[in-house]
Amino acid sequence: MKIVDIKNLTKTYNKNRGIINLTFSIEEGEIFGFIGPNGAGKSTTIRTLLNFIYPTSGSATVFGKDIVKDSKEIRQNVGYLPSEIHYYDDMRVIDLLKYSAGFYKKFNPNRMKELAERLDLDLHKKIEDLSFGNRKKVGIVQALLHGPKLLILDEPTSGLDPLMQNTFFELLLEERKKGTTIFFSSHILSEVQKLCDRVAIIKEGELVKVETIENLTKKNLKYITITFEQTEPMDLKLDGIVKKEVNGNEMTLLYSGDMKALLNQLNALPVKDLLIQEPTLEEVFMHYYEK
Amino acid sequence: MIFKREFKRNIKSLIIWSIVLGSLILLTLSIFPQFAEQQKEMTKLLESLPESMIKAFGLDQLNIGDLMGYYGVRVYAMTTLLGSIYSAILASNILAKEENEKTIEFLLSKPITRSQIVTEKLFVVLVNIFILNGVSTIASIIGFQFTKDQEVPTDTFTLLIVAAILLHLTFAALAFMLSSIMKKTRNILSVSLGVVLVTYFMNILSGISEDIEFLKYFSPFKYVDPAPIINDNAIEPLYIFVMAAVILISIVMAYMVYRKKDIAV
Repeated sequence: MKIVDIKNLTKTYNKNRGIINLTFSIEEGEIFGFIGPNGAGKSTTIRTLLNFIYPTSGSATVFGKDIVKDSKEIRQNVGYLPSEIHYYDDMRVIDLLKYSAGFYKKFNPNRMKELAERLDLDLHKKIEDLSFGNRKKVGIVQALLHGPKLLILDEPTSGLDPLMQNTFFELLLEERKKGTTIFFSSHILSEVQKLCDRVAIIKEGELVKVETIENLTKKNLKYITITFEQTEPMDLKLDGIVKKEVNGNEMTLLYSGDMKALLNQLNALPVKDLLIQEPTLEEVFMHYYEK
Repeated sequence: MIFKREFKRNIKSLIIWSIVLGSLILLTLSIFPQFAEQQKEMTKLLESLPESMIKAFGLDQLNIGDLMGYYGVRVYAMTTLLGSIYSAILASNILAKEENEKTIEFLLSKPITRSQIVTEKLFVVLVNIFILNGVSTIASIIGFQFTKDQEVPTDTFTLLIVAAILLHLTFAALAFMLSSIMKKTRNILSVSLGVVLVTYFMNILSGISEDIEFLKYFSPFKYVDPAPIINDNAIEPLYIFVMAAVILISIVMAYMVYRKKDIAV
């Protein structure tokens, strides 16, 4: 079943670029990455899905329900972590979490304590006294507390230290085991790479591609480092060289062509060393972006 | 949920306003007995005031040596103006505060409709206005006990209270509508307080000169002028109609705007 199904979704509003004709869907139980630089339209997409803003054209469903007409029902089963956390300053953490829980049908105080403990969050502190990272933790507990079927996370790791990020990723993987679908928006590619099954790349409001992480990193692109015996300029003429850099007797290539053709050419050259690596998602990403 | 939370958040200011308004009413009414005794000299003093000033404060139509007249001129002016200021401040903040402080993202991600948010917040405004008026009514009744020899006609007093509530609701509804449209609470507060004060002075000015008498039609304070209410024991139906219309239209507008607007912080 498609948990999120977006069809030709467009949103334009005053100054923002918005999103143009987005179409993609997220399957049940998936961890789906949504990546693009700041201002690409990630938050706009999420806000439209949650009906904070109305679509200009196109449509989308969550759990098969219309995002505009059935928004209230949808939100009963969605946990949302905004990129910037703004809560009521006069409340303590526990007040905020109880207030939040009061809107849902289910509230489990033990779960709240367990989550707070794992994230090392003091429930009795005033929200106005919390640091950015601690506010984020309140947001995480708030998003997970009611056992949502879909988690929508907008830049969830900003402000968390690496140790806390690991705990957070563990929590997400546990949620996934329970069958929760996760929509993970980020501009940091390595964390998407670590966690997600598939990823949608968005650029200037438009969808560039939806790929499995596997395909993105393994299928085409290789990161190749060749060291030659001498420093005279060498040249490779091949289809599929995406990027080439020469540094002394070292040449680095981003290569998506036929491997045999490359090896045949290298055979005739004075190669001292050869290193073939998986490219990082950053490099893959740049490759899609430079087009 | 939201009602409870909003009520709690606003209770401190409700208590402060209630104490201030209540004590002012008690204080004012407590000096009436002495005031009535010295009435003869007072009448003389009043006659020496310029006519326009007497008119401006409605002193030509009410006898302030009489308890009801005194109430209309001295106490009612306070309850109507202070109550209107309170109502405007309360309603200006209530919706827009969430957007201004960006907490609306939290609220909107919960399983509630926009209409529910508006309804619960509107309800807080209504309840608080009724409580404040309840306090001023009780304070007035207690204050009337200082004077033993004069009766307070219940029906006139009730009319005055109803008129004050209508006036407060009118300003509250206007501010509430602004709160649904605009985002910056500071601007909304300035506009709605401006409306209260400008219409208040329009009412006073309209009494001074006949040339600008037409101003009174733009001032809700004129609609609840205590002199005709006390003298005729009735509120002009047209005025009730205008206030009711402003209240209804503002509230309907608030719902329409808030349900359809893009809320991105």
